[in-house]
Amino acid sequence: MLKVIAACGSGMGSSQIIKMKLEKVFKKLGIEASIYHTNIGDAKSQAANYDVVVCSDSLIGTFANATAKKVIVIGLKNLLSEKEIEEKVLEKIVNAQ
Amino acid sequence: MFKELIEKKRYSFHESFATWQDAVRAACQPLLADKTIEAEYIDAIISKVTELGPYIVIAPNICIPHAQEGVGVNDTAVCFMKTEKSVHFSDNSEHDAKLFFVLASVDNAVHLENLCELSECLSDEEFVDKLLAVHSGEELKNLTCSMS
Repeated sequence: MLKVIAACGSGMGSSQIIKMKLEKVFKKLGIEASIYHTNIGDAKSQAANYDVVVCSDSLIGTFANATAKKVIVIGLKNLLSEKEIEEKVLEKIVNAQ
Repeated sequence: MFKELIEKKRYSFHESFATWQDAVRAACQPLLADKTIEAEYIDAIISKVTELGPYIVIAPNICIPHAQEGVGVNDTAVCFMKTEKSVHFSDNSEHDAKLFFVLASVDNAVHLENLCELSECLSDEEFVDKLLAVHSGEELKNLTCSMS
């Protein structure tokens, strides 16, 4: 089971949209995952306990430390594009293993 | 969600704005006027974006100004604004927006329903193209999204 954090500035808008989209993509790809959505501060402090962080491209700088700890960080340009999410999940999670 | 924002006249149309801050303030006006939000909520949105960058721009042309629930919010709502010219949230054109959906929440269940509908509708590129061509509440009323 993959442990994923969806993060955004406030934890109530973009991160919930990311979570909805991720659920669809994971289902399509047959990946079992639990997705927690939260704000950026909380996500930053908890990132090391998760396998993957997904957020808006403009926020990925926040997770430099997590990347150093082998957490996969995925930044999205278009949060609504299931195509972009699927491509990045395949590239960073599925094919990286 | 679209039905409610049309019924409650939570929308506005503008030519352009000099700054994204002015655009966010204008986008929030209908919610301020009907007391769904207080002025401090608008300040909270602007200060979050100033602090973290343009994370509220979620897709080409689309942004969802919002801040954390609790401060200066009295009801759960979505409010729409469209500008003719792009509003720049940074020097990068990837952060340009013309379609604004202000989110306010006191009820997480209703808010989630709104978000779900919004995200489904805005994932339909044809619907987004139609939204980009709308100039009035009357035209907005005639738009249909397969989700709503």
